[in-house]
Amino acid sequence: MISSDIIRGHLDPIILRLIMEKDRYGYEISKEISKRTSDRFQIKEATLYAVFQRLEKKELISSYEGDVSLGGKRRYYAITPLGRAFFKEEVEEWRKTKEIIDIFMEKEVEL
Amino acid sequence: MKTIQAHVDALFREIPDSARKESLKQEIVQNLQEKVSDLMAQGKTEEDAINRAIVEFGDIGDIREELRAQQQMPLMKTNAGQQLCFSIAGSLLIIALMIFINLYAAPDFLWCIFPIFAVLWWPLAMYFRWRKYR
Repeated sequence: MISSDIIRGHLDPIILRLIMEKDRYGYEISKEISKRTSDRFQIKEATLYAVFQRLEKKELISSYEGDVSLGGKRRYYAITPLGRAFFKEEVEEWRKTKEIIDIFMEKEVEL
Repeated sequence: MKTIQAHVDALFREIPDSARKESLKQEIVQNLQEKVSDLMAQGKTEEDAINRAIVEFGDIGDIREELRAQQQMPLMKTNAGQQLCFSIAGSLLIIALMIFINLYAAPDFLWCIFPIFAVLWWPLAMYFRWRKYR
């Protein structure tokens, strides 16, 4: 399992992306991350809820109580227009960053 | 299922009480219980499932930081508003006193303008502080 600083630095857009697809609740998001990465990356619940707090404070996501399930009501998260704009910017920035890092990491070394 | 609740209670013990904390605790307990029942559906015993959910939860540090950051902001906000009101009331009293002394002692020369200008910096500074936190 990778616990890279690079992934940790991009948890906000990763989670925004999942919420953008449809409204989701916490456990669903952590399951989805494990599933899509074939368990190569698993998010700690503690980290996930800290990200929710941060994103909600920045008004990038909003939350509401949903259907009753095991042990209580699920809290669902939905993306806000601000969140969509932020995600778009993050994608653009990631693309540029990747290009720059690739210059040094992917090019053959010429001796 | 009792242990999940007890564990989350223990995790959050050090964090100051707030409505936000309570709703977050409820959310976490609910999500963990769903995880436990998923793990049990995969064939784990209840004890194993609970243990694994608790171990995988991770460190509470990040959540604590976020909750703390949220609590400090509104506190400063209300303080800034109160301090603005106080500065306005205080400076008005000082200005009124200056005008009274001026008119009473030396009505020919309007010297009270100078201290009034000096005093006005106080509510002005408070106004911009209040605007920052609004």
